Amino acid sequence: MIEVGLLTESQKNSLVGQLYDDDSYFNPIQDISDQWIISVEEMEFCVNPEFQWVKDLPLIEYKPKPEPPIEK
Amino acid sequence: MIINPYSFGITYDPDAQAFITAAGITDNTQKTAINTLVVDMKGYGIWTKMKAIYPFVGGTATTHKFNLKNPADTNAAFRLVFNGGWTHSSTGALPNGVNGYADTFLNANTALQQFSHHNAFYHNTDNSGIGLRSMGGAQSSASVNFRTTIETSGTTLTYRDLGLTNAETPVTANTLRGFRASSRTANNNMFIVKADGTSTTPTTTTATNALPALNCYLAAHNNSGAGANYAIMSIAFHSLGDGLSAAEGLNLRNAVVTYNTTLGRL
Repeated sequence: MIEVGLLTESQKNSLVGQLYDDDSYFNPIQDISDQWIISVEEMEFCVNPEFQWVKDLPLIEYKPKPEPPIEK
Repeated sequence: MIINPYSFGITYDPDAQAFITAAGITDNTQKTAINTLVVDMKGYGIWTKMKAIYPFVGGTATTHKFNLKNPADTNAAFRLVFNGGWTHSSTGALPNGVNGYADTFLNANTALQQFSHHNAFYHNTDNSGIGLRSMGGAQSSASVNFRTTIETSGTTLTYRDLGLTNAETPVTANTLRGFRASSRTANNNMFIVKADGTSTTPTTTTATNALPALNCYLAAHNNSGAGANYAIMSIAFHSLGDGLSAAEGLNLRNAVVTYNTTLGRL
């Protein structure tokens, strides 16, 4: 089971375009229920002092949206 | 008396040295591996065909982001920008299969040639994800694409460009390690270089479609501006550039295997 951190809409907006370390950006995405999430790697490796709160996000099971179909 | 050869100062190839300096590589084995990679690629006559070379050496996002061909810390130099979840280590860069991808800033339509381009990579773990997983590239429509994807079945690796498909099958999870490349050398010649360096019979269908006017991503493909089909496999090399002949593809494969052998991360 893959776990991810659950975000509110406001939290998602605050992370878009922001770095979690010197060379890596947050990438909030929506799960199958349209909930905003980030990965446990972004939570664990975040060294940006402005966003240390991500380390305390509630964890939920990751249920991805269906992948885009391969267009032939 | 023990003589330390490094105390005398080793002169590296200027392009290798530029990368070593930019990335802040201090480990002598890593320096030697980079230098040999550059020298080998120049010796094989394929260095000039490269637009972007990502050696993924040094063990951090900061060292992994640099393009060996142009190690400036700018988008114009095709320096990587990592997004989402990645784990960086001495074995390479491992995306998480959830939301991790790297933007190369290399626009396939403008930086690559329509009928002469390649996409090569070396993975040193299996792709542990199931379902569709992209090794990298971009797609703006079914007929305007440039990407490599594991199909849902997990047994077919497809290489798509200009709306055409070349497939490697069967593949299984434990055969996805190692080197792979797709190369187009003409409007009617596109083939795959497999892990052992052999090439598939070229697809001779004439292509007429364009390459997508999108930045190529690594570990996902750029699906009209958004990451899609996030992959899970440790990346130990990736290059993008002009088309390579089958012999050049084999030479690139051999140079990359030598490089990763030196780094102890096959």
